[in-house]
Amino acid sequence: MGNGLPPQVEARGLTRTFRNNGRTLTALADVSLSVAAGEFLAVIGPSGCGKTTLLRTLGGLLPLTSGSVRIAGDTPIVAGRAKQIGYVFQDASLLPWRTVLENVRLPLEVNRRRALKTNLRPGRLLELMRLDEFRDYYPRQLSGGMQQRVALARTLVFDPSLLLMDEPFGALDEITRESMRHELLRIWQSPLTNGGRRKTVIFVTHSIAEAVLLADRVAVLTDAPGRVKAVVEIDLPRPRTEETESSEQFQRYSTELRSLLRGT
Amino acid sequence: MERPFIEQDAGLPAGRHATSAERSEVDSSKPLSVPLLSIARKVAPPFSALAVAVALWEGWVRLRGVPEYLVPAPSSIAQRLAEDPSFFAGQGGVTLFGALAGFALGSTIAILLAIAMAHSRFLERSLFPLAIMVKVTPIVAIAPLLAVWFGFGLAPKLFIIALIVFFPVMVNAVVGLRSVNPWTLQYLQSLSASPWEVLVKLRLPSALPYLFAAFKVSIPLSVIGAVVAEWFSGDEGLGRVIQVSNSNVDMPTAFAAIVSLAAMGVGLYLIVSLVERRLLSWHESAIDT
Repeated sequence: MGNGLPPQVEARGLTRTFRNNGRTLTALADVSLSVAAGEFLAVIGPSGCGKTTLLRTLGGLLPLTSGSVRIAGDTPIVAGRAKQIGYVFQDASLLPWRTVLENVRLPLEVNRRRALKTNLRPGRLLELMRLDEFRDYYPRQLSGGMQQRVALARTLVFDPSLLLMDEPFGALDEITRESMRHELLRIWQSPLTNGGRRKTVIFVTHSIAEAVLLADRVAVLTDAPGRVKAVVEIDLPRPRTEETESSEQFQRYSTELRSLLRGT
Repeated sequence: MERPFIEQDAGLPAGRHATSAERSEVDSSKPLSVPLLSIARKVAPPFSALAVAVALWEGWVRLRGVPEYLVPAPSSIAQRLAEDPSFFAGQGGVTLFGALAGFALGSTIAILLAIAMAHSRFLERSLFPLAIMVKVTPIVAIAPLLAVWFGFGLAPKLFIIALIVFFPVMVNAVVGLRSVNPWTLQYLQSLSASPWEVLVKLRLPSALPYLFAAFKVSIPLSVIGAVVAEWFSGDEGLGRVIQVSNSNVDMPTAFAAIVSLAAMGVGLYLIVSLVERRLLSWHESAIDT
């Protein structure tokens, strides 16, 4: 797994079926993945291939039909209760009656039975996300990109060690998406949010460019039922910038992923 | 005016956010108008319509010489009100208190039941038919019985009003408590939020727009309920005043009571609307109203 750290996410033989009108639909078939601590894994595949199902089972939001998931040795439910898992969805899912700052505080008000060992000050986080001057705005006063940045700040505030991101930029326009990718990299690498240790990220996307730019490795899923078709290591130097995107290597990885996806 | 649209980030808001953002963009052009003028613009149409209606009524009664025991002229109703304002205020106070107490009782029961029903399809299926039966029971048919069951005074009144208010509030509350953003619900679940936390942080605030729609319908109904109760089993209140003056063929008094009730209904509705605008300033329905 590259950096020699123990795997943080260990998934073996994940299978998930849904029953619909008497027919059984297999969304995920025997998916095994191992993600090292601090690694950025992108999951890419055609739409409807079970990417979202994979992420939800990894985080314990959806029970497995068979297989097992361990997050730093614990089940997803235990890890979730310990606030080790942070989600960002395609929908920013902010509370419209709360200001930006109040939205970012939400995770600190919920599930307080376990005191958080670490949490980042919401104000500092908003500064890092360049949202500071909008702290008293309501979500609907913000653009889609800014709402998504608030959603990311809200999840970083309780300092989870694992980030599960489900097409977080999928609903944004192309220009905003591109700037959000670099914004995510900047925040992921910032010492304030990683405390010397980068967070592990599993990032579901259907954009090849997004996967290549962000990830250490890209898992390519097949069409339904989703299986891991190939895992491509992206050996591009970090920090990755706009220049990375125009490099020859970047193009080569994109072509490789494209042909893998086409063959599905 | 306090919500400028932010254009930084060059990002167009996604999906359903686009419309609200566009609207708030329109919104930012509003502060140009003078507040006093805009208030006058809002108040002028209803008052002029009222003035025209009253003038037509007065003219019709005078020109046709309609006898007072059939339809009294607005001027004689006003005269009756001016003669004895403390009488109408006192009787109105009794009715108002009953209406508010019944409204509070009916709404509270409705919301508590709705919370239970929103969490359990089984409870919803069991209780909904009962609620509908309660709804279709003609209040006027059982109202005379209430005096027998509960005697005179506040108890039958609370019963009738709570019965009337209950249904619209409960139906809207169930829909409102269920109509949460599924992504937000999933987000709270990913934080291992308890059902109580989901209720308080997400479901109840999401239900507020629905609840206020129900309150706007049921607050005037609660005044009607109070009048019906006073008619059949009251010893005081504006309903009782109307009943007594009807049998005395004292139409100016009856109409003065009706006018007082109308003012009460409009006033209560306005108060609910004001509270709604305060609490729901974040909601799309509050924009540009």
